[in-house]
Amino acid sequence: MSRVKQSRRGFLKTALGSGVAGGAALFGPWKHNRVYAAASDKPIKIGLTHDASGQFANSGQAEKRGTEMAIAEFNEKGGVLGRKIESVWMDTETNPQTGTRVAERMITRENVHFLAGAIQSGTANAISQVAQKYGCVYFNTNSSSPTESGKNCHRVKFVWDGSGENFSLAAARNAISTFGKNWFLVYNDYVWGQNTNDATKKVAAKFGANIMDEVAIPVGTRDWSSVLLKIQQAKPDVVAAAVGGDDFKVMRQQVSDMGLDRKPAWINNQQDWPDVFGLGADAAFGVFGTTWYHYLDLPGVSDFVKAYQERYPVTRISVPGNVTYNGYIAMRELLRVVEEVGSTDNMKIIKALEGRTMSAADRMQHFDAVIDPASHHVQQTIYLAEGNAAPKDDTDYFKILSWSDPDAIRASADDSCSLESYEATPSYDQG
Amino acid sequence: MFYDLIPHLINGVALGLLFALLALGFMLIIGVMEVINLAHGALFTLGAYGAVVMMAPDGGFPYEFMQPYYDLPAIPRYVIALIVGPLLAGVVGMGLEVCLRRTYGADPLYGLLLTFGAALVIEEVIRGIWGSSEYYLPTPKEISGGFIFGDLIYSTYRIYAAIFASVMIGMLWLFLNKTPYGAVIKAGAHDSEMVRALGYNLKVLRLLVFGFGAALAGVAGVIMAPIWGVRPVVGVDAVIPAFVVIVLGGVGSFWGAVSAGLMVGIVVALTAAFLTDWSLLSMYLLLLLVVTFRSRGLAGKASVLEA
Amino acid sequence: MDYPTKQTKAWVTPQIVVAIVLFGTMPLWIEAVGLYQYLGVEVIIWMIFALGYNLLLGYTGLPSFGHGAFFGIGAYAYGLAQFEVWPNLWFCLAAAVVVTAAFGAATALFLSHRRGIYFALMSIAFGQIFFFIASKWTDVTGGEDGLLDIQRLPVEFGAMSLSTRSNVELYYLCFALFCVLVILLWRLTNSPYGRVLRAIKQNEMRVSFIGYKVSVIKWSVFTLSTAIAGLAGGLFAMAQEGAYINIMSLQWSGTIVLMVLIGGGFVSFWGPVLGVILYFVARDVLGAYTEAWLLWFGLMFMLLVMFKPEGLAGMWRDLLGTLVTRKAEPKGNPAKVEG
Repeated sequence: MSRVKQSRRGFLKTALGSGVAGGAALFGPWKHNRVYAAASDKPIKIGLTHDASGQFANSGQAEKRGTEMAIAEFNEKGGVLGRKIESVWMDTETNPQTGTRVAERMITRENVHFLAGAIQSGTANAISQVAQKYGCVYFNTNSSSPTESGKNCHRVKFVWDGSGENFSLAAARNAISTFGKNWFLVYNDYVWGQNTNDATKKVAAKFGANIMDEVAIPVGTRDWSSVLLKIQQAKPDVVAAAVGGDDFKVMRQQVSDMGLDRKPAWINNQQDWPDVFGLGADAAFGVFGTTWYHYLDLPGVSDFVKAYQERYPVTRISVPGNVTYNGYIAMRELLRVVEEVGSTDNMKIIKALEGRTMSAADRMQHFDAVIDPASHHVQQTIYLAEGNAAPKDDTDYFKILSWSDPDAIRASADDSCSLESYEATPSYDQG
Repeated sequence: MFYDLIPHLINGVALGLLFALLALGFMLIIGVMEVINLAHGALFTLGAYGAVVMMAPDGGFPYEFMQPYYDLPAIPRYVIALIVGPLLAGVVGMGLEVCLRRTYGADPLYGLLLTFGAALVIEEVIRGIWGSSEYYLPTPKEISGGFIFGDLIYSTYRIYAAIFASVMIGMLWLFLNKTPYGAVIKAGAHDSEMVRALGYNLKVLRLLVFGFGAALAGVAGVIMAPIWGVRPVVGVDAVIPAFVVIVLGGVGSFWGAVSAGLMVGIVVALTAAFLTDWSLLSMYLLLLLVVTFRSRGLAGKASVLEA
Repeated sequence: MDYPTKQTKAWVTPQIVVAIVLFGTMPLWIEAVGLYQYLGVEVIIWMIFALGYNLLLGYTGLPSFGHGAFFGIGAYAYGLAQFEVWPNLWFCLAAAVVVTAAFGAATALFLSHRRGIYFALMSIAFGQIFFFIASKWTDVTGGEDGLLDIQRLPVEFGAMSLSTRSNVELYYLCFALFCVLVILLWRLTNSPYGRVLRAIKQNEMRVSFIGYKVSVIKWSVFTLSTAIAGLAGGLFAMAQEGAYINIMSLQWSGTIVLMVLIGGGFVSFWGPVLGVILYFVARDVLGAYTEAWLLWFGLMFMLLVMFKPEGLAGMWRDLLGTLVTRKAEPKGNPAKVEG
């Protein structure tokens, strides 16, 4: 039994006792240290918090394929520290309320060692607050809100996707010289959109763009015709869009329907593979960012794709994309670190992850990546891509245009991160 | 300024017709059967998925035996999709009506709740069959792409959809007002004794009306699919505007709903153009404004749903 | 279909005692039945919300489909009061109640003249408006990131300070408030005011003929139920240590209706309590076994509406009724029992 349960019972005695006595009760220290006496050969348990319903159900399932694939690969090689790895998954429903409850359940009932999985920032925040409260290491695999590794960072949380700001920086720098100076900005009127738009505006202004107009689009907008007409009336060279989720899918549909996807030039933020797949190369419109593509010309990529296809022969998404990739890489790194430090102790693992460099070859990207010790954000290569006019096959939607060194596109939002101190973070080890 | 306004007004009218189309099935069911059909959105979605299967080889059923069918030209396939999608929604709607029978005569809230539950179930079934990922409904190239409109490009499909919506509205009106079936349906709304006296089976009538209303939701799903995309949760986008249009127009009024649809379309289009960040709210503010002064909407009649 | 007509003057009934004992000991047995403490916290908060909501839905017959918005406003108000004004539990909870009630009172001005479907639809419109503003106004609400780092503030009585930081401690705070609320609501629903509410549900017109100002009463009951929603929202902000926008969506507003009705809010004071328990336990247990838990829950819900619209409370009453009848008439004929 873990110590936390004992202390709860202790608390109850105090509470009930004091209730009867009507006196003051000083409830025991809140900060439990969940430490087992000795490690054992019991399995290492990982809590997967991937969405299966709500707006990001599809991406949630894509990252689940990634994390589970990494776990399966380790188990096939004999596990970690000689122990089997078990995963327990619960649907977080793209919903913070569910995120909180699932995280509480994972930690207090399932006794997981680690948590991983997130697409939407609210859900990621809800999970990470619970994780921080108990000290459980949590990997945010795919939420790209700049606030995730900025003002909402945590000591136990590590952010594996590029942020909206990284993508803006990568895209905007190149676009002015290629497409022209007159820019029209559209963004979703919520945190991710507002932050990303601010980042775009800053870069655009720095490189001499003229911002003609910026339009905030309410989240949940299903009709873009008025905005598209307005854009046409303004005649910009470039439309930079920070639009996400289902709104983006709807916008994409209506832009291509009006035949506006070629001119003006569109600069979109990250396009997640599960949002594009199955819709044909036309769905990939404008210039946009991604962290990985299955036709990157790098060693290991095709083996990874093959391994994915062997493991998931009946999935509609027949090749892995950035979301699955992030899930896979994050989980693989976690398990490696556990092996390296020889323990599941949260502090040892956090310290081993902070500042950790991961080689480009190992991550199947062009540049080495590093986990920023100050923000816990993985600084990685960002690729710019556009729709592929000459696809190799019916999965080859993207044409990779360029790639940016992580140093050149470092997000300034990361500077607003201040991690909790080690001392303020409870120690956590499920043994 | 005025020159800039014209395209937005025209766009607003097109949008308004689509809003009216969205509300037709909802209107029929609420007007005739006095059931607030919260499954309207789910039936809408079902129609869209039905059409996707008939149009796209990757519609979730990549069966070999369907291949000769997919080799047909796009237009006949589209016509078939336009029939199959609504048919699917209609059949499921009839099933729902059978369940609903137990709530007739009780508080209308129960009908609403039953359809709320049905919406959950239908959405989950869709997720089970097609998964959560996005589908795309291809359209024949004759009604796709953009066309030049002054010095602007506008969507051909939208013009087609607006015309289609007008035709549907007109046909539904003719059906309700110029055919004996329509008279019976309208009688059923207010006087079930009369229907029985005329020798019609009320049970069958209700089944057919609900099925028809559900099929109309399916039609809207097929028409909106190329504009909104197809995903399991897309129905929510349909049910809320349908609600707004019906309340604004007034329950039980055909032309109330149509004019409310147009009004919402124009207001949304204009706010989206000139006050974009308030465009989603404008619909509700319009509703509040109208209903505050006219408590039954533009042209609503008294109904048991108020009790 | 209605509540038992018998009025009671008692402040505490056997049912209340059972509820207090059952929920008062919940932290002791919740883990033994395979659940976990946080779930208990969430359940008791939603019970508070649902009891307040049922004043409106069950007692007065006003189906509000925008109540999630008020729950959400309560959570934001708690968080903002803590950040911007005074991080004191009583103050912050009071702020949650007062601010939410103020929004509720303003909304009720528009709704109190409406009935039936127009009431339902207008409440949806208001819910959407609040949701929209919260999503847009990110400086205040944190938008979809949420308003984070909300504290579980300690309970302070003079020099005494009780922590609420662990789930069990927080549970007991919620439980104490739940007990107070249950007793107050029980009295309220059995008071003349409660009788007028029921009469409005039966026939609004007749109540106004008798001389009551129906719209004022509807306004007051709406405001009261939003105040309780605000309290629940404030507690929920503590539980989650954050306030998130999703709870304000139409989906969650619908879910509270579903919970209250599935439990039998139309026929019993305790309906909302039963409904909340069923909802959370079903989703936790079903959710652990099947991805499509909503499918099964939706089916269950449909069957209940079709075959037992009085909900769990109705089933319970039938069960008791059967037992009582059997006791009274050991040789009673079956047809009579069925009738």
